[in-house]
Amino acid sequence: MVYLEGIGAGKTTFFNCLNEDLEIDSGEFYIEENEDKRKIEAEDVGYVLSTPTVPEFLTGRELLKFFIDINKDKIKDLKTIDEYFDFMKIEKEDRDKLLKDYSHGMKNKMQMLVNIIANPNVLLLDEPLTSFDVVVAEEMKQMLKDIKREHITIFSTHIMELALDLCDEIVILNKGLLEKVDMNSIDKEDTKERIILALKEEENV
Amino acid sequence: MFKSFILSYKLRNTYRVNSIIYSIKQLPLIGKHLPTSLYSSKGLKVLGNIISTLLEIINIFLGKALYVLLMIVAILGMYEQGNSANNFINIFVLLSIAGGLLNTYMFNPTKDKYYAMILMNMNAKKYTLSNYYYSMIKVIIGFLPFTLIFGIYSGLLPITCILMPFFVIFIKTIYNAYILYYFNKNKKIKNENVPTKGIWILIAIFVILAYGLPALNIPITEGVFYILFSISLIFGTIAFWYVSKFKDYKKAYKSLLTQENVYMVQNQTKGDAIQRTTLNQIELDNKTSSNKKGFAYFHDLFVKRHKKILMKSAKKTAIITFLIFLGIIVGVEINSDMRTRTNELLMTMLPWFVFVMYIINRGTVVTQAMFMNCDHSMLTYRFYKTPKVILALFKERLKTLIKINLIPAIVISIGLPLLLYLTGGTNNYLNYVVLFTSIIAMSIFFSIHYLVMYYLLQPYNVNIEMKSSTYAVVQWITYIVCYMFLQMRLPTMYFGIATIVFCVLYCIIALILVYKYAPKTFKLRI
Repeated sequence: MVYLEGIGAGKTTFFNCLNEDLEIDSGEFYIEENEDKRKIEAEDVGYVLSTPTVPEFLTGRELLKFFIDINKDKIKDLKTIDEYFDFMKIEKEDRDKLLKDYSHGMKNKMQMLVNIIANPNVLLLDEPLTSFDVVVAEEMKQMLKDIKREHITIFSTHIMELALDLCDEIVILNKGLLEKVDMNSIDKEDTKERIILALKEEENV
Repeated sequence: MFKSFILSYKLRNTYRVNSIIYSIKQLPLIGKHLPTSLYSSKGLKVLGNIISTLLEIINIFLGKALYVLLMIVAILGMYEQGNSANNFINIFVLLSIAGGLLNTYMFNPTKDKYYAMILMNMNAKKYTLSNYYYSMIKVIIGFLPFTLIFGIYSGLLPITCILMPFFVIFIKTIYNAYILYYFNKNKKIKNENVPTKGIWILIAIFVILAYGLPALNIPITEGVFYILFSISLIFGTIAFWYVSKFKDYKKAYKSLLTQENVYMVQNQTKGDAIQRTTLNQIELDNKTSSNKKGFAYFHDLFVKRHKKILMKSAKKTAIITFLIFLGIIVGVEINSDMRTRTNELLMTMLPWFVFVMYIINRGTVVTQAMFMNCDHSMLTYRFYKTPKVILALFKERLKTLIKINLIPAIVISIGLPLLLYLTGGTNNYLNYVVLFTSIIAMSIFFSIHYLVMYYLLQPYNVNIEMKSSTYAVVQWITYIVCYMFLQMRLPTMYFGIATIVFCVLYCIIALILVYKYAPKTFKLRI
């Protein structure tokens, strides 16, 4: 699922609401589980910010160890720390470096990994691929495809191709309103045109 | 030269006016409705110019007034002995020398200088000299009314009061000429915001002399001032000549006005610069490890990788305090006058130690490091924001912070009763206990105060922008209150007991507040 929208449309605000960082003025979020509707709870949501924020004084391994120590009871099918690193394609020699010395992309991977281990039902990703170099971006894209099989993944992006490539559903957030885009058409070009049309119409209103 | 001064003044004014308009736009309620086109509005520019000129004038006098009042006049009242004219001139002269080393005007890497000389490529010599002369004139005009009023009131001759501001500019210019001379020889420029160790020690010596000599009743006299002034006049004139003849200003400023230096100064209140400096304090050695689990593990690593800012400076303070006590003990053993005087002071000067304990408390630095290097990133993770984690970490942190601050506190809390004993003791043995306990209580109080404030009022958002001013206001109030204790003299017994009771009560209330509200308040602002 993806949002496409103009800059300043309120996507971060929307994510902050979902993550309960901001009080919402009205409305509620629900999650559907086995055809039951229930209110979203704190443990349901994982939120990966667009700029990587990791505690720089820890090594990658220590961050994971701390996280796992604290959440032991909640994590289903716990793997070893190295298995998690393998999954995120973080090289062996980097695992015991201080996060301070990690590159931008690696920090982002770590942040995402911490959120994935907890196995939340909903994963929020704010602009997940914009700040990566080509190789890492491709890796991440693949990873997102894997992750979305087991999680509801909501991410925001300005890049339409990315949305069309990765998403099952596309929603446009424009001027504070969410609008679903019809994805039935097999033709990508057709969908693209419809999205642009929708955005333009909104502007004219 | 006059032309380049006008040009640079206009440049400075333009962005001052813009920042005034910016701050108007930041005002709650009104600000949101103001359009961006304000920046080109003529009327507002005029208004901004008026405000900016007013600020400049206030700046000239207010700073100097506060300086003379707080640093000299307020202190004068505390000396019970001696000639207040001599004390006044003693403090002024010696502080001026320390100030000359610390505040050169010329080698402060400011944004003004960066814009004018680097970005706009103005003639460095003309820019520097015209602005330097301007700021020296400001020093004289700003100081004169206050040295005259308070100087004459303290019993100085009017002519002395008139000469005093000139002494200041001579001292500054001598040091500036020295920096330029040094640059010429070694091709290295001194940044006034990063004084070397040697400079710090010199400054410390002059500050100690400034306040210490009057306390020992041997301040320099007006006569000595005239001798010092004559010397400064001779060397100052040579220095002014050297400064005005110096050619390589451009080169000198190119090495001073690096992005880094300018950035560091201008953003000191802004988070990113603070964060950069705090990040640099993570000790690279990643061999340190911990056998603990969970929060304790996390916190343990934090402490171990920040030893330098956490432990080392507390230890340093402890050693310095120890040496000071040693000095005083030697002093009271030799000098019987000092012995009786110290004994009297110990029975009334406990309020002073509120300020001393405030100064040596590491709370601000430690909570800042906690935020910048740890919570800033961790608070973006959901699991870190659960009440259980917040409170568990709070407990670990409180233990550490109290421990850090107790290192120097213990030296003082043992030193004071010991000093009391050595200077002749007291009739009431309870005094020893009160001295010891109240210092410990103050230390714990400040530790808790800072950490609780941090947990309840954390002001930054994820981009390290300050989103709430309550935290800064509380810190400011803390300072003012502690500063006011400097003026008080109360019997050690009663004041000590009152302090202990207050600290215990405050700590209990603060902890209850944290357990109740921190899970809600301890978060990144949005």
